[in-house]
Amino acid sequence: MEATTYNYKVVRQFAIMTVVWGIVGMLVGLILAAQLIWPDLTFGIEWLSYGRLRPLHTNAVIFAFGGSGLFAVSYYIVQRTCQVRLFAEKLAAFTFWGWTAIIVLAAITLPLGFTSSKEYAELEWPIDILIAVVWVSYAVVFFGTIAKRKTKHIYVSNWFFGAYILTIALLHIVNNLELPVSLTKSYSLYAGVQDAMVQWWYGHNAVGFFLTTAFLGMMYYFIPKQAGRPIYSYRLSVVHFWSLNFIYMWAGPHHLQYTALPDWAQSLGMVFSLILLAPSWGGMMNGIMTLSGAWHKLRTDPILKFLITAMSFYGMSTFEGPMMSVKTVNALSHYTEWTIGHVHSGALGWVAMITIGSMYYLIPRLFGRESMYSVKLIEWHFWLSTIGVVLYIASMWIAGVAQGLMWRAANPDGTLTYSFAQVLNTMYPFYTIRLVGGLLFFGGMLMMAYNVLKTVGQGRAVNDAAIPQAVHA
Amino acid sequence: MDSGTLSGIVTLVFIVVFVGIVWWAYSRRNKERFEDAGRLPFAEDDVPTQKGDKQ
Repeated sequence: MEATTYNYKVVRQFAIMTVVWGIVGMLVGLILAAQLIWPDLTFGIEWLSYGRLRPLHTNAVIFAFGGSGLFAVSYYIVQRTCQVRLFAEKLAAFTFWGWTAIIVLAAITLPLGFTSSKEYAELEWPIDILIAVVWVSYAVVFFGTIAKRKTKHIYVSNWFFGAYILTIALLHIVNNLELPVSLTKSYSLYAGVQDAMVQWWYGHNAVGFFLTTAFLGMMYYFIPKQAGRPIYSYRLSVVHFWSLNFIYMWAGPHHLQYTALPDWAQSLGMVFSLILLAPSWGGMMNGIMTLSGAWHKLRTDPILKFLITAMSFYGMSTFEGPMMSVKTVNALSHYTEWTIGHVHSGALGWVAMITIGSMYYLIPRLFGRESMYSVKLIEWHFWLSTIGVVLYIASMWIAGVAQGLMWRAANPDGTLTYSFAQVLNTMYPFYTIRLVGGLLFFGGMLMMAYNVLKTVGQGRAVNDAAIPQAVHA
Repeated sequence: MDSGTLSGIVTLVFIVVFVGIVWWAYSRRNKERFEDAGRLPFAEDDVPTQKGDKQ
């Protein structure tokens, strides 16, 4: 018999865990920021040392917070825009428990020091295999749902999710080809500059397809829904989709400027990064212009504020990124705090804000309510996060440029003007401002947790939502 | 074939593909189809009508 309901259960599980993992991941980030000011903060306990916690922070915010958010919205959007219940629901339930198990395993193994030492791919081989299995199941559920859709077209969000699922499978498997020597240690199949190139082909596409393409899928659904009007230009979104996917693949080498990588590959990375500006800004305009004729909603609706501010940060960081990939700029910016500022402009300003906005839209619906417990608290959350991000990135810009200039300053006899410790000393005020910014952002997340808790208390969990009769235009 | 010729050919292929995509997206023939697709999120109402669980 054909299902007449949507599966909201798996969406709800992932949505709640998005909030939980967001708080955990950002808390670890706060500890790291404080450790840079007070290095003895964790009493020299090795499991809590900076080097062990740093991969825990990145994995938690990208794959636990961002990943759970993406599972939730992709399962929600694919059902609602295809007007069918999820395909292979047992497999969908497995993706939830499997993904959560991976996160828990990461939280145990990374502090213990088990690492393959590849950035954003630190997890050791048994966990890598589990990720591959969960991811293939995800692909089966997602594409299976698309295949049995009731609608004629495949909505653009689903194209973005589809590209993200396929590409992450490819990236994860190729980058993690490794030789296990024991249960907890493996060595990469690649060596030297090839290893570096494969790693950053993976690393930049984790940014391009995990942190950009997938969240654009989120944007293309929730901005129109919250604004109450279709996307500004659907045809532009088609061009956005194809050009973004074609170009992102080639931008990885910009992480390896002035290294042993062949010069032509470095230039290739730079040129493709520069071209990326065009589709990125096309997408940003498309999102923001959806509000044209309804700008007044921005004044009163804090969810829309989150979504549109996210688009502004998307525009800012996709301008900054290409600029930083230019070799002469990179000579100054690379290895400095500027990079950290850039990453957080994207991660907090774009990824976190679009996710938070989407969750505020989604969570009440998963509990049979029309809106969150307190809209006022969303407004507070919005302002706390915005001020937090601005403090974070502004302090890191100044710190980064100062650091780059001080490192390269030389005396007439060729010796360096500043010692490493002198440069570090200059950083302290900026590290403090960054910590304050992070605290504000984290405070907003705690408000969100309270608001979600109250909403859950007032509503009742919806496991199956009726598929409404399609309104035929 | 030297690498200069190769990059020339690759660049040309990419441009042709890009122009093709733009032409396809903006052709008059596909106007209706894309506008239809753009309305998909509004094809159904998602305001919760029934409260609570229906297990």
